[in-house]
Amino acid sequence: MSSALLLVVLVAVAYVAAKLAFQWIGRHLLIVSGAEYLLLGILLGPQVSGLLSPESLRTFIPFMTLALGWMGAMVGMRWYLPGMVRLRGVFYRLAFVQSLATLVIVTGASLLVLQRLFGVTPGYALMPALVLGAIATSSASDAVQLIIQRLGRRSLVVRQIEVAVGMDSLLAIATLAAVFCLNHVGTPLLARSPTAVEWFVISCAVGVAGGALFHLFLGEERDPDRLFISLAGAIIFVTGAASFLQLSPLLPGLLMGAILANTSRNRQQIEDVLHSVERPLYFVLLLCGGALWRPAGGAGLIPVLVFLVARMMSKVYVSRAAAQLNDMTQVLGPNWGRALIGQGGLALAIAFNYLIESNSFFPDIIFTAAVASVLLTDLASARLMQKVVTTSPYEVRNSGEMRPPAEAAGLPRAQAASVDGAA
Amino acid sequence: MRRVIILILLLGAMQLIALATPFGGAGRSILVFGFLILAAYSAGELAVNFRLPKIVGYMIAGAVFGPFAAGVVRPPEVQALNPVGDLAIALIAFIAGAELDLGELRRRGVSLLKVTGTELGVTFVAIFLALILMRNWIPFLAGANWIVVLAFGGLFASVAIVHSPAVTIALLTETRAHGPVARTTLGVVLVADVAVVLLFSVALSLAQALVPSGARGVGSLAATAWEIGGAFPVGLLIGLAIVGYLRITTSDLFLFAILATFFGLEVARLMHTEPLLTLLITGFVAKNFSRHGSGQLLREAMERSAAPVFVVFFALAGAKIELPELARLWPLVLPIALVRAGGIRVGTRLGARWARLPANEARPLWMGLISQAGVAIGLVTVASASYPAAGGEMRTLLLTLIAMNETVGAILFRRALHKAGEVGGGTAEPAEEAEPAPA
Repeated sequence: MSSALLLVVLVAVAYVAAKLAFQWIGRHLLIVSGAEYLLLGILLGPQVSGLLSPESLRTFIPFMTLALGWMGAMVGMRWYLPGMVRLRGVFYRLAFVQSLATLVIVTGASLLVLQRLFGVTPGYALMPALVLGAIATSSASDAVQLIIQRLGRRSLVVRQIEVAVGMDSLLAIATLAAVFCLNHVGTPLLARSPTAVEWFVISCAVGVAGGALFHLFLGEERDPDRLFISLAGAIIFVTGAASFLQLSPLLPGLLMGAILANTSRNRQQIEDVLHSVERPLYFVLLLCGGALWRPAGGAGLIPVLVFLVARMMSKVYVSRAAAQLNDMTQVLGPNWGRALIGQGGLALAIAFNYLIESNSFFPDIIFTAAVASVLLTDLASARLMQKVVTTSPYEVRNSGEMRPPAEAAGLPRAQAASVDGAA
Repeated sequence: MRRVIILILLLGAMQLIALATPFGGAGRSILVFGFLILAAYSAGELAVNFRLPKIVGYMIAGAVFGPFAAGVVRPPEVQALNPVGDLAIALIAFIAGAELDLGELRRRGVSLLKVTGTELGVTFVAIFLALILMRNWIPFLAGANWIVVLAFGGLFASVAIVHSPAVTIALLTETRAHGPVARTTLGVVLVADVAVVLLFSVALSLAQALVPSGARGVGSLAATAWEIGGAFPVGLLIGLAIVGYLRITTSDLFLFAILATFFGLEVARLMHTEPLLTLLITGFVAKNFSRHGSGQLLREAMERSAAPVFVVFFALAGAKIELPELARLWPLVLPIALVRAGGIRVGTRLGARWARLPANEARPLWMGLISQAGVAIGLVTVASASYPAAGGEMRTLLLTLIAMNETVGAILFRRALHKAGEVGGGTAEPAEEAEPAPA
């Protein structure tokens, strides 16, 4: 048996073992994870077996870039305006405050650490710090869905978390898009190279134009197979356009998804098709992420640790402070921010997008931070989420009827009901 | 019409982007990939209006926007999208294997062998004789001595008789056809796939013995025998591993389907076995030996992941059609294509009569065997690599023939399925006392 074949067999066995182990752990300990795919990627990659060489990994980059555009579109589909306007403004205010504060705190902390540790100028450290901030801002939606499925109910705190996850994604993606625009090398073919703001506008224009055109292209199509092919073509086209212009494909994807969500009559079918490959795409990102990962050893681990701690603190304490300032602690509970600790696929997508950017600084540190955060928080996100939901003062049944649990909150029923008009 | 206008707008947008930026690389490949999917998908939908198979639409879109016509898809992009082609071939082989039912093979295996053997034999002889008769007009045979004519004629005929599992599977998936004609055609195509690789290896070995090329040979007969024979144990082992996996879990089958395909392809390459045959056997074992319908679940996951892959695969196949060569060589290729079709028709009739197939099953069978695609192209590449000088001309002629058969074959097979009333699975089994096929 050749050594290459032996390696292939070993990797296959390791994958099956990891898959089974995580399946068992997931069943018994309530864990949302694709960590086995990350492990498989590391096993396949140059760090361990070398079955996937750096050259062969480069051939996968177009596929992974597609995953970014797809992920952007999925995030955009959540921005369904008629559903959003049914929620009161306080939900968005809370979500925006915790998102922005996390971005600012983690960016600031990372900026300081990178400057001090590597002796670079603030201008040099700003881009990687902003990307770390964007990664920190994003949070996972998988755990929310899992808990809703498991507990079979929706409460006000779940609504708040859903809004916060959406806001986190928007801010994280917009920040990354801004980093790409600030970092853009320009184009010699035009009389004048566009400014960063103009690149940002171009980035938005690609998404908006794509959304408008593909709204017409998809029409009333409802057959899942045909919808899948045309939707895949549309996302690949928009992703390719952004990638060709050396812009992040996440923002155009998000805008296209949002336009399709708000203009198409077959919104549900589009959403179903996008979701049908959500998990596989996440696993592909994990797999390729594992293979591409190069450990940020030595001093590089300090920014990673700072990132993890700063993010955790921001998510928990800023959310608590925001709830207190808006008089929502009794509705949401003091620890609702813990439900936002899970990272999910978007964090990895942002890190990967930055990694393949040709003129990126400290890519290994950023990628290590994302991988570590995904691994650590995915293990705990569903349990944290469950705890937050089960201890929240008010609950809403699936039917929409609200009930106060055991008079613990002491909040009048009318006040709680008025918070969520849709309930 | 709306979609055509949007495609024109997208084409304009692509030109604008290309004008505005000097970048390219992966970004341009992705952009073109997206455009190709949308264009091929639209052409496929349009083809249905003309009662043509969708895959013909995909191929036409590929040819129109490919490097030999509009030039939207350039050779580097075709090259960059080759992994999708590899994945498609592997998926097709797996699905083809999973389509075969063990019980049916036991019942009809001998019949399939009889039909396939007769059809291949008659077609081979017909093409071989046609080449000898036309030798003065064929570039690589004109003015050559009899040994060269016999050697190259045999080699050419061994490639020309190949069928296309890809087109067959794609059309069966597209039309959801189910019935005796669909099953028999698929069975013959798959059995023939094994036989022609073997026949080609013998023809190439004979040609090299008669006309030494000086180029590096493709390997000994023992290596060829392992390539074919080794595919059985290797495919069996991978298949059993998949069966074992499916016994434990059936989650994330969509991703597992793609991973398993890549894994099978990689193992086949490392073990030097024929990839298509290896994956075909893997699919067969996975489907027929798994419990509680998990093999069926995997097959459905494979089919789901294959749908968009087919669009790209056939669009790329269209983009690879060398239109100028097709225009130049069609007067020469057309008679060969007609002789081939005639050989297939007579061969299947004789084979069906020998196997005592019912007439309604035997009559349209030949129409499903005209198409050629990936396997034939693979063999052409091997043949032309073995004979760098004459092989180039042979390659051009064979690729033109394949392009013609690929398009016409798909149309004919769809027609056969329609005639048999099997499209959408809406056919009754033939009556047992149905009359045998006429000779």
